[in-house]
Amino acid sequence: MQLIKLAWRSIWRNRRRTIITLVSMVLGLVIAVFFIAFGEGVYSKMTDSAVRMLGGHVTLEHPEYREAPAVDMVVGDLFEIRRRIEELPEVERTKVLVLGQGVAKSGGGTVGVAVMGVEPSAEKGSSPMHEKIIAGDYLEDTDKRKVIIGSQLAKQLKLGKQKDAIKLANQLKPWIEYSKIPFEKMVEDVRMRLAVGKKMVIASTNVRGDMVEELLRVKGVFCVGAAEIDGYMIQVPVDTARELYGIEANQATQLGVVVRDPDTQGRVLAKVRQMAGREKVSVLPWDEVMPDLAAYIEVDGGSNYVFQGILIFLIMFVIFNTLLMSVLERRREFAVLLALGTPPGKLRLQIVVETVFIGLIGCALGLLAGWGVTYPLSIGGIDISGMYEEGVSISGYAIDPIVHPLVDWKLFAWLGGLVFAATMLLSLYPMRKATQIEVADLLRGGR
Amino acid sequence: MNTFRIGWRNIWRNGKRTWITVVAIALNTAILIVSYALMQGMMVDMVDNATRMVVGDAQVHAPGYRLDQSMYKCIKEPEKIVDAARKAGIQAAARSYGFGLISSGSKSAGGIFWGVDPAAEQKSFELSKHMLIGEYLSAEPGKNVVLGQKLAKSLHADVGSEIVAVVQAADGSLGNELFTVCGILKVAGEKIDRGGAIIHRADFEELFVSGGRVHEIALNAWGKLSAEEVAGVASVAAGDDEVKTWKQLMPLLFEMVKMFDVAIFIFGLVFFLAAGLGVMNTMLMATYERIREFGIQKAMGSTPWRIMKDVSIEAFVMAVFSTLIGAAIGVAAGLYFQEYGINLEAMARETITFSGIAFDPLWRATLSGKIVMLPVFVMWIICVVAALYPAGKAARLNPVRAMTHV
Amino acid sequence: MRFLEWMCLVAIVLLVGPAVATPKGAAKTAGKKLTPKQILDYVDDLYRGESSYAKMSMKVVTEHWTREMRMEGWSEGKEKSMFRILAPKKEKGMATLKHGENIWNYLPKVKRVIKLPASMMGGSWMGSHLTNDDLVKESRMADDFDFENTFRGRRDGQEIIEITCIPKPKAAVVWGKVVLVVREGDYMPLKMLYYDEDLELARTMTFEDIKKLGGRTLPAVMKIVPADKPEELTEFRYEKVEFNIKLKKGLFSLRNLQR
Repeated sequence: MQLIKLAWRSIWRNRRRTIITLVSMVLGLVIAVFFIAFGEGVYSKMTDSAVRMLGGHVTLEHPEYREAPAVDMVVGDLFEIRRRIEELPEVERTKVLVLGQGVAKSGGGTVGVAVMGVEPSAEKGSSPMHEKIIAGDYLEDTDKRKVIIGSQLAKQLKLGKQKDAIKLANQLKPWIEYSKIPFEKMVEDVRMRLAVGKKMVIASTNVRGDMVEELLRVKGVFCVGAAEIDGYMIQVPVDTARELYGIEANQATQLGVVVRDPDTQGRVLAKVRQMAGREKVSVLPWDEVMPDLAAYIEVDGGSNYVFQGILIFLIMFVIFNTLLMSVLERRREFAVLLALGTPPGKLRLQIVVETVFIGLIGCALGLLAGWGVTYPLSIGGIDISGMYEEGVSISGYAIDPIVHPLVDWKLFAWLGGLVFAATMLLSLYPMRKATQIEVADLLRGGR
Repeated sequence: MNTFRIGWRNIWRNGKRTWITVVAIALNTAILIVSYALMQGMMVDMVDNATRMVVGDAQVHAPGYRLDQSMYKCIKEPEKIVDAARKAGIQAAARSYGFGLISSGSKSAGGIFWGVDPAAEQKSFELSKHMLIGEYLSAEPGKNVVLGQKLAKSLHADVGSEIVAVVQAADGSLGNELFTVCGILKVAGEKIDRGGAIIHRADFEELFVSGGRVHEIALNAWGKLSAEEVAGVASVAAGDDEVKTWKQLMPLLFEMVKMFDVAIFIFGLVFFLAAGLGVMNTMLMATYERIREFGIQKAMGSTPWRIMKDVSIEAFVMAVFSTLIGAAIGVAAGLYFQEYGINLEAMARETITFSGIAFDPLWRATLSGKIVMLPVFVMWIICVVAALYPAGKAARLNPVRAMTHV
Repeated sequence: MRFLEWMCLVAIVLLVGPAVATPKGAAKTAGKKLTPKQILDYVDDLYRGESSYAKMSMKVVTEHWTREMRMEGWSEGKEKSMFRILAPKKEKGMATLKHGENIWNYLPKVKRVIKLPASMMGGSWMGSHLTNDDLVKESRMADDFDFENTFRGRRDGQEIIEITCIPKPKAAVVWGKVVLVVREGDYMPLKMLYYDEDLELARTMTFEDIKKLGGRTLPAVMKIVPADKPEELTEFRYEKVEFNIKLKKGLFSLRNLQR
């Protein structure tokens, strides 16, 4: 008890030194928290939007679908299993998908497309697609025979004529000059708007092998920025897709499960697998459904980990240095204590307790400050597009310019733990040094 | 000069303290250089992956070709542009494009035929080395074809498979020809993967009766010139034909790169903050420790100004010495990573493509003068400022108080 | 993106090809007053028979080239048809077989049969100014369109009937409007005008040289002109047509295709 008091008093005896040490810990932690949360924010945003846009964190599908995707590989008895999955507390929502192939035709051309039958309301809640609409609107649940298509597909099908777009853009010229939008871009924009409401025929083969055709009207045009989506994918209401492919109302090619917290994915996967046990479905995590994306994210995450590692090393080094310096600075003081007959063991113990104090205070303050800096940003987000010199608008592209740092209690726990443990460990060396002082030399030499 | 010598001697009066400070500064400098080089490398990689594979720094097309890829919209004087580029040290590859049907066994699919000069492609672009299996075209025409990965998969074609090409030739007739698959490309972007069939220029001319039409000249300076400079060289020779840099050809990628630039700026800021913090703390402590000494100096008649000067010179000398060591370590490590890179492949199961760009899992650093100099200068400033603050305080102190300062 | 010329062959196969059980209108029109629906059916059935043989030439004029081809073809029912090119030399011997929804092509130069992929079946017909809709489609005009008689009387020195067809709301038709002009009296088709969704003329199909062929009176020449490129043209000319003939067994087989 007395030792603790002694240590406490001792660390505040030289306020300046303690404050410098604390500052290095606090700032180090703030920087680490911010950096990691920012990185995780970018990374999870990418995963999450892709996962939500497509099959969800966990996907149920016919066991043979992966090998040979076809619309007759369906998950049946959807209602029952869906109800049961939605009862799981971890599950945010489920989404039904009917994925198929087809040929999109218009008066101006014919293009092979991937047809995605979706439930508009479920998509709106789970997928960012509705935010990527650049002309017209996203689908509604009540829509029938409506379609949203990508900007590149619209061009290939010549929906919305270039010459009409130029004519209209010319009429808008004064305004365009005022707003400094490049004319070409304006024409593009007008053209997409002209495509809305146009007719498109989708032709395909249904589950019985018959050629089928369906007339659809363009409700909206999206641009997510990736050619394989903008030029290749169309979305229709799921019932329209069912009608086209001739599958039943309680069937779908995919049932996606979107979880509230990505960390619970494993648990949900196990539970759903158990539920689906007897039925003829396979339950897959998203990284098996989208291996390309998973690979990209792993590599990107890999570089992020490298930077995190370097940064943590840097911060550890800063703390170590500060501790070493402070012990060095106190050698005279220790020499005096030793000369006065303090047993080296007790002195060492005192240094340990001092370090515990500094470590605890430093970590607590550091994490608090880290939270204070990062949390507001995680709510508001950081609009990194604002940092462009020209302030280019990149909304509508694959990557959202607003990054929300991801604040997670686990990050705080391990970072705090790590810094504290490292502080203790790092103090061992200067502590040993402290008690190995040549007392007489030091007191004489004064340095 | 004398003051510097004194400074140098002074800093070694307390070897232990100085060494700790020197190590701190040197290590921080080195880490900054390496991580900065890695960040820069990541960005350069991203652009390089996208441009060196097949697009190049800039491309020449006939006006309007990019909107409507018609066989008849060809570049007027392709040789002139290629010659001009080569004279300026830029690699150039002329390509012709044509649509057609590709069939293998009972499978068939639509595709885009590329008529290329294999020798020029091999010199100018990396696509020719980006083979999944088999080999790229040889320099002589031989009715061989290199297929994109998805196209090969949908045709069930393998190396050695025979494919039939059926196309509408430029004179309206129906061209058809048998080709042998000599290689299949790794994933290289959606356009190539799904429809790319690369054949020799001579075979292309025979199949399409194309009469030497060239639709695209892709220019690659391999980093020797900027994209704008490359475009500048080409436009002189191009006449009416349009010259666009990769930034205009791939606006989305350009946006991504710009965004990445911002991210790297944030990363860099964070790293500089962390490293600066470390150096500042060490410097602060080292100087505070010496307050007693300053007190003695002041008692012996030194003016505050003199003390400040001495301290800043000492700090500067120390900073220069430490950053030299740090830069040496940093450059060495940077060169290592530039040469061998960090292999992220262990984390990925296959080639990575994103938004149609194939990523090389080997992550290399990029060193440049700026990358070395910036951390060094920042360290100098931090060192001097961090030493001046306590020194200034000491200089103002009453000598007696300074001497008893703990 | 220009499309393959041999796709035109498929087009012709289908023009001659898909036959309904009985060409209802064919023989019994003379002198009768037909309703607009009957006129549409009559024009639909004009070139159809239970089986048929035809020899024809096709001329395609585009901005960049002009070509002429001669070919012969056979059809049986809705399902089967086959075509072979007779001239010019480069394409001679190329053949196309349609059986149900599958289309194969035989290329004598490389001695290979290739199957047309599903995505190309509905391919864009730019090379020959034809869209696939009027060709691949087996449904009848009267099923997909709401129609009315919009003009009857004298125009350009000829007594004509004009029928305007608007696609039914759910019909899988890409056009905004199709106008059919037939001759008063014998209901011979003269013109079909295809309008896009903005009701701008997209292309014109004209019928000429009405004469007796294979026991029926029909236009022997069909011309398609795209509205945005009036100098371009695709023209079919029937040299010989026979309807409801007896065809050799095994005619519509892959083996025969490679003959």
